[in-house]
Parts: sequence; C-alpha cells; structure tokens
Amino acid sequence: MTIQQIFATLDGFWADHGCLIGEAYDMEVGAGTMAPDTFLRSLGPEPWNVAYVQPCRRPADSRYGENPNRLGRYFQYQVIMKPSPQEFQDLAVESIEALGIDAREHDIRFVEDDWESPTLGASGVGWEMWLDGMEICQYTYFQQVGGLQCRPVAVELTYGPERIAMYLQGVEDYRDLSWSDAISYGEMRFEEERQHSHYNLEIADTDMLAKVFEMFEAEAKRVANAGFPLPAYDYVLKCSHTFNLLDARGAISVSERTGMIERVRNLAAMVARAYVARREELGFPLLGEASDDDNK
Amino acid sequence: MAESTADLLFEIGVEEIPAPAVLPALSQLENLLTEGLAAARLTHGEISTWGTPRRLAIMVGGVQLRQEDLEEEIKGPPAAAAFDDEGKPTKAAEGFAAGKGLTVDDLEVRETEKGSYVFAQVTQQGQEAIEVLPEILDNAVSSLNFPKTMRWGSLEFRFARPIRWLLVLLGSNVVPMEVADLQSDRLTWGHRFLSDGPVEIAEPSEYLSKLEDAYVIADHRRRQEMIEEGAAKVAEEAGGRARLDEDLVEEVNFMVEYPTPLVGHFDSRYLQLPDDVIVTVMSGHQRYFAVENSDGSLMPLFIAIRNGDDHGLETVREGNERVIEPRLADAEFYLTEDMRTPLEDRIEDLQRVTYIEGLGSLYDKTERLVELVNWLCGQIAAVEDQHQTAATRAAELAKCDLNTNMIGDTKLAKLQGRVGAEYARRSGEPEEVALAIGEQYRPQSAADTPPVTRPGRIVAVCDRIDHLAACFRIGLRPTGSADPHALRRAAQGIVRIIIEAGWHVDLPELIDFALDNLPEVEHEDAVPPEKVAEQIHEFVLARLDTEMERCGVSYDLTRAVLNTECPDLLDAYHRAIALRDIRQRDPEAFETVVIAAERTANICRQAKAEEDLALAPDALVDDHAVALYEAYEAAREAVSDALAAEEADYEATWNALAGMCDTIDTFFDEVMVMAEDEAVRANRLALLAEIDDLFLRLLDVQEIVIEGEG
Repeated sequence: MTIQQIFATLDGFWADHGCLIGEAYDMEVGAGTMAPDTFLRSLGPEPWNVAYVQPCRRPADSRYGENPNRLGRYFQYQVIMKPSPQEFQDLAVESIEALGIDAREHDIRFVEDDWESPTLGASGVGWEMWLDGMEICQYTYFQQVGGLQCRPVAVELTYGPERIAMYLQGVEDYRDLSWSDAISYGEMRFEEERQHSHYNLEIADTDMLAKVFEMFEAEAKRVANAGFPLPAYDYVLKCSHTFNLLDARGAISVSERTGMIERVRNLAAMVARAYVARREELGFPLLGEASDDDNK
Repeated sequence: MAESTADLLFEIGVEEIPAPAVLPALSQLENLLTEGLAAARLTHGEISTWGTPRRLAIMVGGVQLRQEDLEEEIKGPPAAAAFDDEGKPTKAAEGFAAGKGLTVDDLEVRETEKGSYVFAQVTQQGQEAIEVLPEILDNAVSSLNFPKTMRWGSLEFRFARPIRWLLVLLGSNVVPMEVADLQSDRLTWGHRFLSDGPVEIAEPSEYLSKLEDAYVIADHRRRQEMIEEGAAKVAEEAGGRARLDEDLVEEVNFMVEYPTPLVGHFDSRYLQLPDDVIVTVMSGHQRYFAVENSDGSLMPLFIAIRNGDDHGLETVREGNERVIEPRLADAEFYLTEDMRTPLEDRIEDLQRVTYIEGLGSLYDKTERLVELVNWLCGQIAAVEDQHQTAATRAAELAKCDLNTNMIGDTKLAKLQGRVGAEYARRSGEPEEVALAIGEQYRPQSAADTPPVTRPGRIVAVCDRIDHLAACFRIGLRPTGSADPHALRRAAQGIVRIIIEAGWHVDLPELIDFALDNLPEVEHEDAVPPEKVAEQIHEFVLARLDTEMERCGVSYDLTRAVLNTECPDLLDAYHRAIALRDIRQRDPEAFETVVIAAERTANICRQAKAEEDLALAPDALVDDHAVALYEAYEAAREAVSDALAAEEADYEATWNALAGMCDTIDTFFDEVMVMAEDEAVRANRLALLAEIDDLFLRLLDVQEIVIEGEG
C-alpha cells in the first residue's frame, strides 16, 4: 500500500464514521495537534469530528535526509472526535485493519503513554498503539488544552504514516517508500530534507530568529487583545516554530528554554480563552444538533 | 427450599488500564466490598480478585441473599414529657411513635441512669441483597483511588481509564445498576482479536473458564506462571537462560491477557554495547526480557511476550526484531561517538552544564567533590592511600558521563554512573575507579544496596553531602511530600553508607566542610550557613531515626539516644542497637535502672541548667552520699574505659551504670537532697548532676517511656 493509498483509505474510513475530511493547516506546526482544527476545535462545548493529513516540522530531528527513520519534516494523519465516542477504540483498531493489517496475525496493543505539551498548556491520558512492538499511533483523551479543561472530552488518534508504510511495504529506509506507484518518498523529499537540515542546523540566523520571536510574541498579544483569536493563533504557531529553530541551532540555554516555553504557553492560553469567548458570543453554532440530542 | 446464598461477580471492563494500577485497584476493591457487605449485614464467603489490562474483576462467594432483620430499640423523650399528670400521652409521645411507624400503645417506659424514658422497639425488615448491592458496588467504584484519573465523552465521572462494560451477577441474576452511563449486564468481552463478540456469563462460577475459551486468562497469578515458565522454556530451547526481572514480569503480566513468549534475535555485534545499555534498551521501552549464557553474559536474543496465541507468531517475531534493531543502532551510534572522547577529556566540557541554577556548573561540582573526597579520606581511619587515589580519580570523572550522547537519550538517562563506569573501563581507568563511578548514585531506593567498594562509598557520601549543602543553602528544602531534588534519599544514603561502612565521622564537621566548600552564593532564597548547618544536621538525624526504626529500635529509645551529644552517626546507631538488645533481654532490669536514673535526672536537671554546680567530694558528710560518690567513681572509671576502646563497648557501659542503681535508690530513700543547708544541698545536687552526665553519655533516660507510667 503506497503512502497516498494509506491517506485515501484512512480518509474513506473516517468519512464513513462521521468525520469531515479536513485539509492540512498552511503553516509550520510541530504536530497535528497544533493545527487549529485540533487545538482550537477541541475547546468549548461544540461537537467536532475531523480527519486530516498534517505535515509537521521538527527542526531538531533534521538529519540531512540520511537517517532511515528520522525526518525534520514528516506527516501525521490526525483524527479528532468530540465528544469521544464509546466505541472509539474499536474504530482505531478497525482503521488499522482497513489498511490491510489482519489483527489476528499480529500483536496489536495499547500501551500506557500519557501526553503532555508544555508549549500548548495541554495534556491528555492515553496510549501508544503498538503493532508487533512498534509504535504506529498515539491515542489520547484530551483533559486540558490551552490551560482550559476539556468539556466534553475530545479524543485524538495520530498515525505515523511513514512508519506504517515502512511496515506495510517491508522497507527499512524512508527513502525507499513508494509514495505512489510512480514515485518514491526519497525522490519526492530527500533534497528538501537535505536543504532544510542544513538550514535548521547550521544556516538559520539565530539573531534574526531571536528578534522575530519577540516580534511574533508581541503581535500575537496585540491581535488577541484586538479581539481576533484566529490570526493571533497564527502568531503563536510562528513563535513556536521560531523557538524550535533556535532550539535546533543550539542557541537556547537550559534556563532560557523553560522561560521561552512558558511564554509560548501563556500565548496559547490567552488565545484559547479568547477563542472560547468568541464562540460563545456566536452562540456556539455547532452545538445545535447535539443539544437537541441531549434534550431527547 | 430456596438457596439462601449466591456468588457475586463484579467485572469492570476498561480500555487498557496502566499496568502498575491494576493490583492496587484490586486490593482496594476487595477491602471496599468487604466493608460494604459488612455494613449492609450481608455475610459472605471467600473473595477472589482477578485483573487484566482490560478488566478488574472480583468474586465474592456465598453472599447472603437477604439481610438479617434488624431489631432496634430507640430512645424517645423522657417519660415525664411523654405523659401528662393523668398518664395520658402527650403530643411528644404521639409524634415520637408516629415517626417510628408505631402507635403510642407500642411505646414502653423504662428506667435508665438518667431517669425514666420512653422506648420504641423497631424492626427493620432485611432487604434483598440484590437491592442493596448496587449502592455498595457503586460506592466501591467511585471510592477506588488511582494515581491518575481522567474524564471521557461528556461525563464528569472519573476513572483510571474509560469504563466500557459492567458485568454484575448475583448467582444467575443480573444486579441492575448504572455506572458512568453504562447499564450492568451479564456480558463480558474476550480477547480483543481472538474472540468474536461479547461472551455471556450465566453464573459467576463459569467466569474464568468462559473467558479462557475466549483467550483471556483472567487470573493474573496464572498468567504470571505462564509468562515465567514460558519464558524459561523458550530461553532454554534457544540455549540460554531468561533473566526474569521481577518488576518487569509484573508489568508485562498486566499488559497481556493471553501470554505467549517468543524469542527474537538481534545482531551479535550489538553485544559490544555495555550490558546495562542492552538490557535497558530491551526492557525500558519494549518490555523484553534479556537472555543470558550459563556464565551470565548476554546472548543476542530477547524474549517478548505476545498478547495472544501462537497464530502468526513468526510475523510478530520479525516485527519485534525490526523494532529493537534501530534502538540498538542508536545506542551503538552513541557509543561510537562517545568513545571518540576519552572520559577525562570531558571534564572541561562540564563547565557548560548547569548543576543547579545559582550553584555553578557540573565542573564546579566536580571540583568540590574532589575537595570533599580528600577531606573525608583524612577523617576515616581505615582509608589507605590507594583508596584515596581511586576515590579522587573517581570524583574527577564522576559527572563526565552526564555529557555523553548515551545519557543524553532520555530513555537511557537512568544509567548515569553505570555508563560512566563502563566508559572509564574502556578509557583505561583502573577497575576500582570504574566501580566507584558506577556506585556513586547507589542506593537509589530503600530496596537498592549501597556501594560496596571503599572508594565508591566515599564518592557516594561526598556527592550527597554536597548536594544537601548546595540545596539547603539556596532554600530548596523538601516541603511536605514534595522532594524534587531527592534530598531525603540523599540523606538516607549517607546514613546507610556510613553505618554499613562502619565509619566514625563527625557529622557537624562534615556538614561544615561541605558548606565552606560551596561557592559564594548569591541567591534570593539563600539561607545563612550557620542556620543551614543546623537544618542539615537535623535532616540527616531524622533519616537516622528512620534507619533505627527499620532495625526495630523503639521510638522512645531513638529519642533517648538522639537527645544526647551524638556528632558520630555510627556511634549513635550502635548505642541504640545495644540498648535495644539490653532492653529486650530483660525489660524489668532495664526499667529499674531507668527509674533510678530518672529520679536523679528529675531532681538535678533544673539546678544544672541554672547554677554552676561544683562537686566537693570531701565535703560530703552523710554516709549514704559518700557511698554514692564511691559507686559513681567506680562507674565513671568503668564507663570511660568501655567508651575509650576502639569500638566502644556499650554493654560494659550499661553494666557500669546499672551497678550504681541500688546505691542511688538507697540514697534517695535515706537522704533529703534538698537539705536546709545551702552548701550541703548544692553539693548533693552536684553529685547527682555528675551521675546524670554519666548516664547522658549513653542515653537521656527522661525520653524513655515506661509501661504504666503514663
């Protein structure tokens, strides 16, 4: 099964189970969780069911494209269901089976792994999903996001498509993965990995980055205070990515690190509150059907 | 005749609960049900609990199907208020009777100690168990304590993990109840992949066998046997022996419902990695068991416990082999990179690593450690030059592994010290230096053993006293149960090592040296050194207290010893142990001596504190006083001899003190200490004060609690 077939299969599966198929957010994020479709939509009382592919950037994981298992830019397939449905764990397993993995032939397990994101002020309770000892998914019930308690609780399932594809295709190096029948992952992305690795690890101008971090932070605050949490959140993402670049360049000392993480967290918390306030002002428009259900 | 009891089966089905949470939850469940049933007047038989990652189950045998009726006598108003002068019932009496569902005629008047009162006899009808159980079970579920709980869906209910089904049977009947929006039923679920659909349980006794048919071994004791025996067997077939780490067996046991061990291979070139690293890579993340040769060396094999039967076992094996490979490759990469720089060339690098904010770098810490080691070596009689050389070298290199790639990997970070030891060996350092580096963080817990080599013990004590001095100096004392810098463990380590090593070390001096050794501290929470010294001393003695308790020294005896001058931990410890034995051997004799010494202490302590008492032996006129003085002189000499020996003889000390006992008693019986003549009185008090001081070289008798005293 090629990478694009994996995406198409998962899209089909989750669409059949009531998820809208979203598209990736068009900014640098460190994980699918940071895209507004997860971070913001998991806040507040409105129901939300979505699945999407999100390219993610982790500058510190850059390896010039030479490490068979590690990439500075890679993909996550992200599913969010809120409120978390009773049968979600079964769906998670069925979705893996939909990829052609016969559960009886393998050892699929849920292994405790609670999740926490200090930069997002978010935490959840959950598992790694193992396939014959290999982590292929992260399965988390959000408890807190942006410093706010999640009510109702959203459940998140994050797949590592490269890992799953390497397993399905019996390949030891990401470069050998078939993206489609016509083209390999390496042909598509190796040069990009190489160049970005040089940038992330050597070339990036740390003075400039330190400066724009301050500017992005100020802009996020200004825009949020002006009553526009959505564009403000874009600047939170820019701060987070700038921080990651500085970190990858080794330009942040241990003590500075804690301080900067806290600054990003404060921004995220501010935007989260402003976002919920705005949704409330709008009357939580997506609540319509769900509240009818509750009144039955 | 209908049965009067039935078995109760209660199963909570969950999404995979964390392995360490299962056993504690089961034992709580057993306690909660035992209490709940007793409170509900329901007798029962034996209780069994079973746990897997997906279920917490409890079976209570022979639960009484109906509560006993409860006969109660309820006291009402005083008779005088219940009946008027004419003997007619008042409103009070009517109200009381009505409240109990009775009429006034049912009330009785009886005499009590407080006068005459009205009583009602009430029979509370026993309820059916099936009506009472839901509340008991519901209460048990919501009373379970977990280290961490969560919410899910739209519920406010909290549990360790989402609850997915509820099986509650009393005999063949479902006990109707609701928890977390789920209705109880007679359905359970078998293995997630090897069994189709729910499994119906007709009655509790068939629970285990029905589940086994559905590929779930619910009894965790049996699963553990299957894991241990199975792992041993597959290891043997592969020509080796399974290393069955107890904690790992328990963890794995609660990660599977149907265990099937399998052996996987890894490339034998990884065997050049340190053993600790290989084992940690396998056990830490993947929960594999190591396999060793008969000589204890590792084989290039691992044992994984598959959750399921042997269907597709080959695929599962290959998958697991593919997972461990890159992890070992990472470790190999770290090793190759790390070996480019010999350990000693890493010392300078430590300047770039902060130890604790405001207390310099690890380089500074290393320098302090070397100073401390040299000082401590000078304090300990048994330390020879070779030990000092090794300990100093180990101190220089102690922190160098913290800056390696290997320890930089969070999954391997707990190997600090052990990786340093291996790297020291590979950098050509002497074995005793390597051992000392490897032992510096031991004991890691109460169950862990302290270092055994002399240089290891020295480095370990110095590392900890520096840590205590540094943290206390900037106000980082543990508060309540929070101890983020592991200071209690550090102090406990010092106590255990010093006692085990048999070192006579002056603790206040050690603390002072460690504090002087610190850099200039500019910190907003800094505590002045004099105050810190006292705090640390107290803190360490509190751990000595714990150690004594562990050795069965009673609390009052510990206080009695610690309330005397005891700069030397080992001395205090030995005294306490000796006194424990003396007291155990003959509690009455012990008490007799304590009582005599207490009389002495009680009468002279105040004077001792207020005046300068100088004993003039020649001025003692009374025969009894003279006799006491002579007894004291003899005892003093004997005590001095006994304590002066290289290893103080506390038995002899005690015997010498006890020898004065009769004379003390006679003295108190025959002599008025508080004589009218001021000089006579002062001289008598001075004699008693000397005797008290002599006792204080062993213990403070005023701390001893004597049965029946109060």
